[in-house]
Amino acid sequence: MINVTYGMKFSGFAMRAGAALLFAVMFLALAPASRSDESPRAKALSKKVMCMCGGCNDTAGTCNHTGGAFSGPCDTAKAMQKEVAQRVDRGDSDDLILQSFVQEYGPTVLPDPPKKGFTWLVWIAPVVAPLIALFLIWEIVRRWRRRVALAPAGGPSISPELLDRARRESGRESDE
Amino acid sequence: MDIFGSFALLLAFLATVYAFVAGIVGIITRRTLLTKSARNAGMAVFGLITLAVASLEYFFFTDNFSLAYVAAHSNHALPLYYKFSALWAGQEGSLLWWSWLLSIYVFLALFLNRKKHPELMPYVGVTLAGVQTFFLVLNNFVASPFHVLASADSAGVMHMARLSEGTGLNPLLQYPEMVIHPPMLYLGYTGFTIPFAFAMAALLARYPGEKWIHITRRWTMVAWCFQGIGVLLGAHWAYAVLGWGGYWAWDPVENAALLPWITGTAFLHSVMMQEKRGMMKVWNVWLVFVTFMLCILGTSLTRTGIVSSVHAFAESSIGGWFFGFLGIVFVVCLATWFKNRDYLRSDNKLDSLVSRESSFLFNNLILLAACFAVLWGTLFPVLSEWVTGSKISVGPPFFNKVNVPIALFLLFLTGVGPLLAWRKTSLDALRRNFAWPLVGGLIAGAAGFAFGWREFYPQICLILSVFVTLTIFSEFYRGARVIASRDGSNLLTAVGELTMRNTRRYGGYVVHFAMVLIFVGIAGSAFNQDIQKELKVGQSLTIGPYTILCQNFDQPSNENYESDRATLEVFRNGHSEMMLYPERRLFRTSQVTETIVANESTPVHDLYVVYAGRSPDTNLPVIHAYLNPLVKWIWFGGIVMVLGTCLAMVPDRRAAIVLRAARDRSWGDAIVQGGSGSPATSPVRSAPIRRPGSDD
Repeated sequence: MINVTYGMKFSGFAMRAGAALLFAVMFLALAPASRSDESPRAKALSKKVMCMCGGCNDTAGTCNHTGGAFSGPCDTAKAMQKEVAQRVDRGDSDDLILQSFVQEYGPTVLPDPPKKGFTWLVWIAPVVAPLIALFLIWEIVRRWRRRVALAPAGGPSISPELLDRARRESGRESDE
Repeated sequence: MDIFGSFALLLAFLATVYAFVAGIVGIITRRTLLTKSARNAGMAVFGLITLAVASLEYFFFTDNFSLAYVAAHSNHALPLYYKFSALWAGQEGSLLWWSWLLSIYVFLALFLNRKKHPELMPYVGVTLAGVQTFFLVLNNFVASPFHVLASADSAGVMHMARLSEGTGLNPLLQYPEMVIHPPMLYLGYTGFTIPFAFAMAALLARYPGEKWIHITRRWTMVAWCFQGIGVLLGAHWAYAVLGWGGYWAWDPVENAALLPWITGTAFLHSVMMQEKRGMMKVWNVWLVFVTFMLCILGTSLTRTGIVSSVHAFAESSIGGWFFGFLGIVFVVCLATWFKNRDYLRSDNKLDSLVSRESSFLFNNLILLAACFAVLWGTLFPVLSEWVTGSKISVGPPFFNKVNVPIALFLLFLTGVGPLLAWRKTSLDALRRNFAWPLVGGLIAGAAGFAFGWREFYPQICLILSVFVTLTIFSEFYRGARVIASRDGSNLLTAVGELTMRNTRRYGGYVVHFAMVLIFVGIAGSAFNQDIQKELKVGQSLTIGPYTILCQNFDQPSNENYESDRATLEVFRNGHSEMMLYPERRLFRTSQVTETIVANESTPVHDLYVVYAGRSPDTNLPVIHAYLNPLVKWIWFGGIVMVLGTCLAMVPDRRAAIVLRAARDRSWGDAIVQGGSGSPATSPVRSAPIRRPGSDD
């Protein structure tokens, strides 16, 4: 756009050159996504959708079929990469692009489960569970700190001889 | 021979059932002779399964394609060593392999302890026989590798058939590491059965004390180390063979192998709490139960394909058996614990929050959090489909997002934990021990930032890695300095002396250092670059400092495969550095293609070049080049991990005076007095009686 504005002000040649440059950029952006020249944004986005060929468990951006005739992205992944690149070029937002994939393929297309409804659990549990565990540890530690001394009061009736022998044997084992 | 093999397997099944039943009867009736007989039957199982394995190998080596299993996984042209490893290429064979490795452990555990621990061993024998029975049921009645091929004639009568040629081994498995990786992983999975059996035995026998932990410490380390090697070799195989430029994809089967390793790590740490302070007894028992159950779960995930995986080398409907067994194990564990839980009361109290004890608590919390996150993410798609009816994916980004912070916190604890003293650590000691390593870490972080290491997590990882490394080295240095000044030896000899006096502690530090190396290697992946390009002869592509020029394409084929190969010249700063020959092979019999990656690996980065095939659109050859920093550190870390573990298993060399003191003092007394008590961080102060670093 800068080129075009500049051209309008100063010369028709510059304007034409700018337009040509812009056109060239657009053309490159529209080229097949498997080429090296796809935009970084399209590349990043294609890693945010799963390849839906059903055989690779990978994202479209990283799909790399082993054992097939071509160990790059499979046809499904390439089509998806291309779609991403076209939509990026059209100026669609990341969210919009991802949404359209969800509409097309269902929620399985997202490698990250959506953070709402039932699938919210997948995100929240790894945070909540350790917190609960931390709370439990806190409780246990409090109890430990209150414990006066070695006092198996009310515990099982282990005979002193057995306990003593067990300890002796443990000591011997650890000296091995 | 097939009858020989299946007969041996059947006898093994009968022997293990006998060991199980006679063992229980022997315990109940207190008849020693019966108990001994049960033990001998348990040991005989090893010999019988060995015969079955040998018989199956004989079929592979003699190219006898009358067995369905051999015909499906081998062919005449297969090299000898792959005929050997083809044994575990499929479902039936790998279950037999599982059984056999387990029987080795069982034999060793029963044989080496035949004259020891009379109170525990009958229970150990019964538990082991129970586990072995399950696998032998599968080997004999569900997935026997000894099924013969048969065809029906026109009258419908079945006749034995023999194929002239087999299907051959999956080319992806025709790689040297695939000869080693599965045995290592399975030695890990099966090895955790031994600590499980001893824990179960101690509980069933209501045997107080830490004896089961002392007996199984080395067994657990062996299993843990094998599991670690198995996981790393698997990662290396994926990296070297699959040609996708990565080594870990959070695939369910990879996760399944990682889970017992994580809980095993937690267990190796938390047992120290019980040994030193008589704490966390319930926790330890459950940790080892859970580790064993995760091993069974892992095996079942590999075998059953309940969660979709790219590792579906061996899938079937065997899942029901595994989950049934898992259920039984869980119920038995729960019932045994509930009935005998009174015997697991803690002896000791926690003196301070800033202590080795609480660092172990955190260590276990974090490891278990990691384990939970991985398990949760792996099984969530199944859960979600079950609850909501709709399928979802939980891909690698989830696992990375959740596990990276957890792992970094763990790395932090690796540095902090060992330097905190048992019971209580003073603020002064904290400052003394951590100030310099922390400064060193921050300097490294600043230097990294200056040199372009500017991602958040890798930056934290770098700082922590240097911090942990410095704390480890300072531990060695301080201990060695005491010995050097006392004995007049040089510092290096003193380090050796120090290490050999407490191999468990210093071996542990070496393993910690190995983890640092692996973390650094993984952090490097944040800076991976890759480029894929169609290349004609004479064209080039550029990645990082390298320019790759395409010199030639040819087809060097042989009777086994057809091949497409690129000859690439790599330039750096205008100078020719090396030639690379990435290749794609199409195997004639199986019509499967395989990528032969050209990987130029240095400690700084791997230049990893793949011949991706011919572009379906233009029919031009496509070259995919990756520049992966620091990957080599991971494999090197793996080697250090093995060395550290081996070191930790070597018996301590002790000074005579210390040995006598240890003999005079019973373990129980030590616990009553609060462990060996003195701060871990000050070997300097402990000089004459206490050997440096003896508290671990």
